[in-house]
Amino acid sequence: MTAPLMTSGVLSPAYSLLVALLIGISFGFFLERAGFGSARKLVAQFYLTDLSVFKVMFTAIVTAMVGVFVLSRVGFLDIGEMPIIGTYLVPEIIGGLILGIGFVMGGY
Amino acid sequence: MKIGSGQDAGARPAPYMNPYLAGIGIGLVLLAAFVIAGRGLGASGAFANVVSFVVNLVAPAHAADNSFYQKYLSRASNPFKDWLFIEVIGVIIGGFVSGILAGRVSRTIERGPRISDKGRLAFAFGGGILTAFGAQFGRGCTSGQALTGGSLLNLGSWAFMLSVFAGGYGIAYFLRREWK
Repeated sequence: MTAPLMTSGVLSPAYSLLVALLIGISFGFFLERAGFGSARKLVAQFYLTDLSVFKVMFTAIVTAMVGVFVLSRVGFLDIGEMPIIGTYLVPEIIGGLILGIGFVMGGY
Repeated sequence: MKIGSGQDAGARPAPYMNPYLAGIGIGLVLLAAFVIAGRGLGASGAFANVVSFVVNLVAPAHAADNSFYQKYLSRASNPFKDWLFIEVIGVIIGGFVSGILAGRVSRTIERGPRISDKGRLAFAFGGGILTAFGAQFGRGCTSGQALTGGSLLNLGSWAFMLSVFAGGYGIAYFLRREWK
């Protein structure tokens, strides 16, 4: 297992914050490219006039999911090092509902 | 960031990227975060981190007594050298650069035609409070829970994500005057 590069020692954790900055810049770039700098475009998902949020989100999830699956299958990525959040269904469902209401009210 | 029509007279903003392509882009960025750092994407954690820092400044006794604040305070001596905090700064930079390149950066308040600017801002404020509360209660936001946890098939992340959509669709009708 050579990845995650920072936990396996291939890449020094000293570069951690630089990686954080570059990952953030790329994430923000694609979010804006998709139109998610626009509150109206985001909220349009919930009035069914523009389904970009669905399309972008689930394409991203499937892309990363396939990547993790393939890279761990070939023995490159240690899936045990992935950031797994514990399951707390009741707060997660209630928090999700509240966030969804805030999403449409605030325009995220 | 407020995005509307291009600021230069006559300049038209570039069209948005194909949503499936943008999705692949974000998916690859998320995969890169997994492969390089063993971390996912996030946003709400950065806010919780800064909030914990400020609470500790003004009310250290209260912060010392509270396990939520302690979780963030114990992580690093300097909250601004936090992975998520720097990542969110990057998101702002990346979004701004993309907006500039596409001619989409301008000063506007996005709203429907049936609500005033003031009304829209009041709703934005209230929505922001709900969003922040929901994210802390649900252990993450659309980045940390839905995208990161969703792609790792975390059960709770999928419950969270579907609840976000349920909450949004459930309230949309009642808030239609804000947007349509």
